[in-house]
Parts: sequence; structure tokens; C-alpha cells
Amino acid sequence: MVVEQETLDFWQWLLGESSLVDGALIWFVIVAVSLALGALVVGYLLAAVRHGPMKAGDLTYQAVVTGLRDVRGISARRVLALSRLAVKESFRRRVLVAVIVYLVVLLFAGWFLGTDYTEPAKLYLSFVLTATTYLVVMMALFLSAFSLPADIGNKTIHTVVTKPVRAAEIVLGRILGFLFVGTMLLTVMGVASYVFVVQTLSHSHAIDGRTLQTEEEPDGSLGLRGRTTTTADHWHDVMIGEQGAGRALVAQQHDHEIAASTDGDQVRYTVGRPRGMLVARVPVYGKLRFKDRQGNEKPKGISVGNEWTYRSYIEGGTEAAAVWTFDAIDEARYPDGLPIEMTLSVFRTYKGKIADEETGQAVGILGGIVLRHPDDPERIRSATQFFRAREYAIDSQFIPRNLQDPQGNPLDLFDDLVQDGRLIIEIQCLDRSQYFGMAQADVYLRARDGSFLLNYVKGYVSIWMQMALVIGAAVACSTFLSGPVAMMFTLSVIVLGFFKEFILGVATGTVYGGGPIESLIRLVSQMNVTLQFEEGWGTTITRTVDAVVLLAMRAVTAVIPDFRGMSSVRYVSDGFNIPIDLLSQDLLATAAYLAGMFVIGFFFFRTREVAR
Amino acid sequence: MAAEIVLETRSLTKIYRDFWGRQKVQALKALDLEVRRGEIFGLLGPNGSGKTTTIKLLLGLLFPTSGQALVLGRDATDVAKNERIGYLPEESYLYKFLNAEETLDFYGRLFDMPVAQRRQRIDSLIEMVGLGWAKRRQLKEYSKGMARRIGLAQALINDPEVILLDEPTTGLDPIGTREMKDLILKLRDEGKTILMCSHLLADVQDVCDRIAILHQGELKELGRVDQLLTVADVTQIRARGLSDACRKEIEDVIRKHQAQLLAMENPTTTLEELFLEIVRDSEARPGRRVTVAPQPESGQPESVRQEKS
Repeated sequence: MVVEQETLDFWQWLLGESSLVDGALIWFVIVAVSLALGALVVGYLLAAVRHGPMKAGDLTYQAVVTGLRDVRGISARRVLALSRLAVKESFRRRVLVAVIVYLVVLLFAGWFLGTDYTEPAKLYLSFVLTATTYLVVMMALFLSAFSLPADIGNKTIHTVVTKPVRAAEIVLGRILGFLFVGTMLLTVMGVASYVFVVQTLSHSHAIDGRTLQTEEEPDGSLGLRGRTTTTADHWHDVMIGEQGAGRALVAQQHDHEIAASTDGDQVRYTVGRPRGMLVARVPVYGKLRFKDRQGNEKPKGISVGNEWTYRSYIEGGTEAAAVWTFDAIDEARYPDGLPIEMTLSVFRTYKGKIADEETGQAVGILGGIVLRHPDDPERIRSATQFFRAREYAIDSQFIPRNLQDPQGNPLDLFDDLVQDGRLIIEIQCLDRSQYFGMAQADVYLRARDGSFLLNYVKGYVSIWMQMALVIGAAVACSTFLSGPVAMMFTLSVIVLGFFKEFILGVATGTVYGGGPIESLIRLVSQMNVTLQFEEGWGTTITRTVDAVVLLAMRAVTAVIPDFRGMSSVRYVSDGFNIPIDLLSQDLLATAAYLAGMFVIGFFFFRTREVAR
Repeated sequence: MAAEIVLETRSLTKIYRDFWGRQKVQALKALDLEVRRGEIFGLLGPNGSGKTTTIKLLLGLLFPTSGQALVLGRDATDVAKNERIGYLPEESYLYKFLNAEETLDFYGRLFDMPVAQRRQRIDSLIEMVGLGWAKRRQLKEYSKGMARRIGLAQALINDPEVILLDEPTTGLDPIGTREMKDLILKLRDEGKTILMCSHLLADVQDVCDRIAILHQGELKELGRVDQLLTVADVTQIRARGLSDACRKEIEDVIRKHQAQLLAMENPTTTLEELFLEIVRDSEARPGRRVTVAPQPESGQPESVRQEKS
């Protein structure tokens, strides 16, 4: 799985790695204070234009003081009443239709989602989670953007605001009410989609008796080899030991256990349910550095011309290697050895052998794994363990505890190679002129698996957070905009949030093409982005205007929620555990955004004449 | 000692502006009003005269351009004042998907009322407005009159000291109108202060103690209804059982004192009175049938004849 940004420890993220300045908390405070001061200044200036400077000062002071008093006077009963009203309104507006649509989509999903995909779990999970996200986000948007404007439009708000209701309670009640509705819907959708995925992917096979052949195992015992029957568009190779127990080998991301039972002189083999299909890997990542073709250490490998620079490459048949240093390796945690998983990208400069002519099985590029002592890596190392890189799939390797050095002397993984919990794992490409591409998260130790169900719930929590942000933004916008405009505004915030990284790239100049004016000129004049503008007053004006606009873009984008980053759906569909640190960071960020949106909505609503 | 002032406007001015801040219309021009505790005060005026604007300013639904609106001594924009006021808007702006009980429960919760008190208040208000038979029906099924009644009930949920009624009799049938007027008088007798605005002058005349007449945002007249309506140079004598001779004598006396006789005739009742009498009679004796008599050829006015069915 691609992990472009390392997940920090929660407290490091909040309070900063080395000082408070790096932490999220201090930035939240800075942004909140800046926005508050900005709002005060703008509010004062607007009031000054209309009422003069003295009166404006009084009005601004009154707005702040009474605003704070209103927040202090919030009554739980009133908020609850307004929330209940929002819930009733949602049901009146046929919110249940969203659930029915979802269930219908699930009913017919089996028609167009094939089981012949190499990673069916990924396909099904990403489908249901993405469908849930879009449906819930759209529902949240429509519900919350139109609610308050509708009340203002048909004047029902008049009978509410003439009761001792604070503007804060109206905004908060709406946010909480819609959150409740969304949570209910997500719960129903979550249960339905979980049952759908588990039921659809669940299958079994029988062993095709005609294919069974006796073969001698490495330990000298006699075993059986064969194939299962084809179910759900796939079959498995089968290995059965002398004792009768065996395994249907991995195909389509899963395997099956085979149990044997005797009935007189007959032996009956039963293939169990799929294993390893719905998982939540808990990866332990190491630190990656590279060696170039001469064996010199480098922070990065080489580029093969890919625009996406996430992975860098090592050349095959040379000293080039990708070197990971893992921490906290101990015997208690990995009693039998190290389970390693790799997702290697392969760049071929010639086609080479793609598939075995006899079996038709894919033949990957040859690679080697070497384990080295962290303090004496050149002298104390294991013999190379060879593997064939599987492209586009996760490759599992197991490093046993008992190893040998290149001379054939025995080595114990923990006694001889691990030092203070540290170990170096080095990966090389062994096919000349072929390349392996790797990023830090591509090789990890699979220490254990978390609960898939819990991970699924965490995935839904991440969808819930996106929904909460949409509700918060839409309710805040609807306090000062009409329904359709509030919806479009919120939609813009979501789109900006999804492309936050790109927009920040434009704003900071890391994306080619310049600012809005420069890009417009390039677009109209069909000028390549790499060509420089001729120096002159026109260019100076363009750059100056762009600089101001880019600064504004940067400021706006910086405070907009990162919708894409907040989605942890890919973790679930790729079979990785959502780190609790990441989830808690996102939850806190969501809470902070909601608080901000509440304050914005509150002040806008408070300063609005609802009877206009 | 003068009664306590509970509603007050001081040079209250409201100018509606467009998006760019340009003046569109001056809805209210320096209005000075005082409404005292325990009276029924009527705001009269043609459409666009500023009646509803005044009420909205007093409720804090609009902000004054200049001047001040005070309710129970507090600024109209102070939410705390709402604890002691009730408001019946022009139309019953209520949530149509709620039923009568849910509506009152919702508004009761907004007053932070405890469950028991809320329950008791809801029951008594539903009974008072006569909607017990329809209390579980959604408001979208209500007729306009029923909606006005439940609207009034929500305005009274907190047993307010001051009640602002915007066109309280609009949409009501004559019985409903009479009941509403009786209720307004009853509320006044309970010591509540009522500010109402209405187009229906007869209704205002029937219930209001004092009125203010607005025109184009300006106060044109203010005072007690009885004083304002009294025609000082005309005397009205009402008597029963006068003979023709007595009438003649009275005419002679008037002439003798050089006064001008304007009219001496039998009074007619109001259509409202007639209607109410018929309906009351019909309710008392449900077996009776009302038919319209055939129109006489002589062109005399149509009369109503009641026959036993």
C-alpha cells in the first residue's frame, strides 16, 4: 500500500516532534486566532462604513460579548429539541431513500463485480466503501445545506428565534441532528455492506480427485499434490501431508485449510472457508536508505523517468540495494522468524521471461534478501535468500530463525544478527539491467493481524468524519447563504479539499505553470510550461498579481480540510490496519474543524436579520 | 401612578437596503411608542405602513437602522426577553410535519420547561384552542383556522407576560374570530399585555384599548380607542319602545334647541351578530334545517326563514 506520508505518533503530531512549533495544536491556535482577529477587523470595518467608527466599535464589542454570553447560555434541552427537529425533518425529507438506494445497489452489485479479479476482496471493499462515502456525503450535503435556508424561506424560523433560543443552539442543534441521522444511516449501511462483502466472498471448493498425485515431501514423507475444483472463478493448488491435513495454496489473495476425516477405509477431505481474504495487516515499517551501483550509501535510488517520484529504483546485477533498518525486533514478538511482505515495483529494460512456458505461471524478476548486523553489516550477514518479485501484488516471504552465513555457517537470527532490537534487511535486484522500485512502506514486517471487523468499523469512522465535515461546512454556509448557493459553496470546499495537495503545489510553485494569470496566458497562447516569459513590465505585473493570488490560495487551502487524506478507505480495501494514531489525529482534526464551522455559523447567524 | 411600560420604541427607524447597501425603502421613520402593562394595543395602517416591521423590530427579527426597541426594559435583540413574550406570526409559520402535541412539545422544550410542566401546559393549551380532536394530526392536514389556533397555542406555551399578535384574526371564520377576540380580552383580564396589528378595523375596535395608526412608516394617530372614535358634536340616544308620538316630540325638542337631527331609525344588528346567533341556535337544536326562502317578485330583500325539518 502506498504510504506517502508517514503516520506520526499522536502526541508527536499534536505537540510537535522536537518543539511545539511543529505540532498541530500550535497551528490550530495560530489559525483560529488569526481568523478571529481577521473577522473582528472585517466586521468592524463593515460596521464603520455604515455606522461610523465609534458606533462600529461599540457594535463589535457588543457582538463579541453577547456572542460569548450566548455560548455560555447554551441549554442542552434546547439543543436536543432542535436536534430532534432536524432528525424529524430529515426523515420527512425521505432520507431513508438513500438507504434503499444503497441496498438496491448492493443487491445488483454482484452482477457487475466479478469474482475473477486477482484481488476480489480489494475490489468489493473499495466498491462498497466508496459507494457509501459518495452516498452519505451527498445526502449530508443536501440535508444540511437546505435545512436552515428552508426554515428562513418559509419563516418557520420566526417562531423559533422568538423563543429564548440562542443562535448557537440553532446551529449546534442542526449539526448534531444531521450527525445523528448520518450516523444512523452509516450504521445501517455498514452492517449491510459488511454482510454483503463477507457473504459474497465466502466460498468453498472440493478437491478434484483426478488431479491428486503422490509426491515425496522434503522431509521424506509422502504427500499428495493436486487441485481444487473451480469455484468463484478460481481454483487452488493443493498440498496434503501424510497425516491428511493440508492447504489449498494461495490464489486470489487467500488460501483454504484442508481437513481429512476417515470413514471406514475412505478418506474424506474437506476444504474450509477462505483465509486471509479479509485481513487487517499491522505492518511494522523500517527506515529506508539506498546503495548505488558501486555500493555507496544514498538517500534515494535512481529515477526511471516516472513522474511520480514516490518510489526510487535500484539497478539489477550491481551493488545497488534498498536497505531497511527495523527496530524493536525481539524473540518474543517473532518467535519463529520474521514474516516479511513486499510490494515491489519492477521496471524492465527488456521484456525477459514473463511466464513459465509449461505452467503458464508468471515468472518475476529475481531478487535477493540479505540480513545484516546493524553494527557490523559487512562482516555479519546472512546468505542471500532468493525470491521472484511478484508485480502488482503483495509478496510474502518468511525469514526463519535459523539461517546460514555465505560460507554455510549457522546463524541465529536473534543471537547473531539482531542488535538491541535492530536489524538490517537488504534487498537487491539480481537480474542484470532490470530494476526494482521501492518506497519505505513497500517492505514491512507483518507482526500480527488486527481484527478485520474492527478495521472495517474504523473505515466507516473515517467516512463518518468526511460526512461530519460536510455537515459542519454546509450548516455554517447555510447560515448566510441560500440553499442552492450554500450547497455549491460547500461542494467547492469539498472539491478544494480533495485537490488540496495539488492546489498547495500550485500555490507553493512546486507544480509547473505558474499562478492563475500566468497559466491563463500560457493556455491562451499555447505556451509550453517549461518556456520562460520574456522579461518586461507585462511579466512583472503578471508575476506580482499571481504572487498575491497564490498567497491567498495558499492561505485558503491551508485551512480547508484534507478530504482525501481523511479517507482511510484504501487501508481497509488494501487489507491494512488503520493506525489508531492516524484515526485519532483525523478525529481530533474533524472535531477542530467542526468547532470552527460552528463558530463561523454561529456568528453569521447571530448577525443576520432572519426576517429579511 | 402610570402603568409600567413594557414595550417601547424610541425614534425607531428601519431602512431596508439592497445587497450593495443602497436604500430601497424607509419602512419606519422615528417611531415613538409606549405600550403599558395590561393593555391591548393595536397597530393599524394600510399595507406597507410599517406595522409588521415594528413588530419584527420588537421581536429582534430585524435590527433597527437607528433608534431603539425595548421589550420589558431589555433591548429587542436580547434573547433573554423571549422568556417572557409570546408571538403569533401573520401566517402560522410552524413545522407542518409535526402534529399539535409535537409542535407544542418542541416549543416547550425551547423554553427549557421540565417534562411534567410541559405536559400539563400542552394539554391545557390544546383544550383551550379546541384542538383536542386533532392533536395527533400533522399540521399539514390542518385548515387555516386550525393552524391559527395551534399558532396561538405555541405563542402562549410559556404563559407570557407580553403577547405580540400579527393579524390574529386573519383566516378565521366568524366564530373563530369571535373566540380569538374573546381570548385576547381574557388574556388582558389575566394581566397580560397585548400588542396586535390588524387590517380588520372592526376587530381592532372591538378589543383594543389604545391604537396607533401608521402610514408610510410614520405615526399618524395615537390614543385610546374610545376617545379617538368619539364624535364630540354628535349625540346618540338609544331607547326601546318609543311610540310615533314620542318620536315626533323628540324631533320637535331637537328643532326647538336649533340642533340638527341626523337620523332617527331602527338600528340593524351586525352580520357577525346575525351569523353567530344562527350558528349558536343550530348547535343548540341540531335537528333544525336552514333553507333560503324564494326571492319575492316585489324585489324586497332576501329573508331567512327557518322551518322545522
